[in-house]
Amino acid sequence: MVKKLNTQDFKDTAMTAPVAVVDFNATWCGPCRMLAPVLEELSDKYAEKVSFYSVDVDESPALAMQYRVSSVPCLVLLKDGKFIDQSIGFRPEGQLAAWIDGNL
Amino acid sequence: MERYDIAIIGTGPAGVSAALTARNRNKSILLLGSREMSEKVVKAHEIRNYPGLPFVKGEEMAAAFRDQLDRMGIAVTEKRVGAVYAMGDYFALQTGEEMQEAKTVILATGVVQAKTLPGEEALLGRGVSYCATCDAPLYRGRTAAVIGYSPREEAEAAFLSEVCAKVMYFPMYREEPDLPSGVEVIRETPAEILKGDAGMTVKTAEGTYSADGVFVLREAVAPAQLVPGLETDGAHVAVNRRMETNLPGVFACGDLTGTPYQYVKAAGEGNVAAISAAAYIDRTEKGGNKNG
Repeated sequence: MVKKLNTQDFKDTAMTAPVAVVDFNATWCGPCRMLAPVLEELSDKYAEKVSFYSVDVDESPALAMQYRVSSVPCLVLLKDGKFIDQSIGFRPEGQLAAWIDGNL
Repeated sequence: MERYDIAIIGTGPAGVSAALTARNRNKSILLLGSREMSEKVVKAHEIRNYPGLPFVKGEEMAAAFRDQLDRMGIAVTEKRVGAVYAMGDYFALQTGEEMQEAKTVILATGVVQAKTLPGEEALLGRGVSYCATCDAPLYRGRTAAVIGYSPREEAEAAFLSEVCAKVMYFPMYREEPDLPSGVEVIRETPAEILKGDAGMTVKTAEGTYSADGVFVLREAVAPAQLVPGLETDGAHVAVNRRMETNLPGVFACGDLTGTPYQYVKAAGEGNVAAISAAAYIDRTEKGGNKNG
């Protein structure tokens, strides 16, 4: 499952997870809407290893600024709260899985 | 929503040929393009090496394509495809505000000669955007530079001016831009896009312009932007002899796959792509293998 976060939740969840993938998105963004079900699939496949979160950049602009999100969708991969890598735009499931595997 | 067996993008010889073959295989087809067929075909003076149509003029060839599609009961949907998303066991095609669904996609868009600016591709998503309506809200109250390659892009610049504090517009064409008064029109040719600590810079021969975001808007969409994740080889899509791309269920044919840019080669590849797409559908539906 992909959990929706606001700026307050972020510290207690995404920042403390061993591995987190945070999806920065917006309601007005078409590719974001298409990416959401792909991330849901991935979150099931990686349930043991990776926590998946979603952040609406309009609701949480401070977080978007902090991670320098300049295009959505933007996935940010964190390990123990530390920024590791980002992936920009829609990508098919297989390629995102390879991206996650490469960063585990 | 109807999920088509095969969505074919493009109505040149490759797309038309793919559609005719797909129809022969009893597949449901969504053919996206123009009733005028292909501009390149229409403008061709005379074609001497297309079997069965000796010394045919481009306009006559387009008319013959149209007639053949009509007689096979294949309609052309006149919509521009903005993006194709691989959703797992199907594809979502964005046509304006609408979405269409298909099990497979055949790309027959022709080759787009869009030369990118130095820095543009490397900074895409990191300060460079191709979609003002997508990313504008991220630049609320900030400065945007817009490089527009046709007057059609002015609407996007006008939209940005409603959201951003400042918009600079670099027209890459001769016509006088018709833009809201707040937009600063700069008649200089961008040579490079750079990124520094403070933001983005558009460099021209005459000067440098700072902005938080740079929007590059041109009509021709590169294939890797049309289909996120698609493997390309320069301006071309990488395919094998079965016209398969790196994405299962996506096929490409015609000029898009590379030279020679010949109508008869395009038609041949369209035929192969449709046969491969039909085989892919039969295989996945029989085996239930979603990952293909």
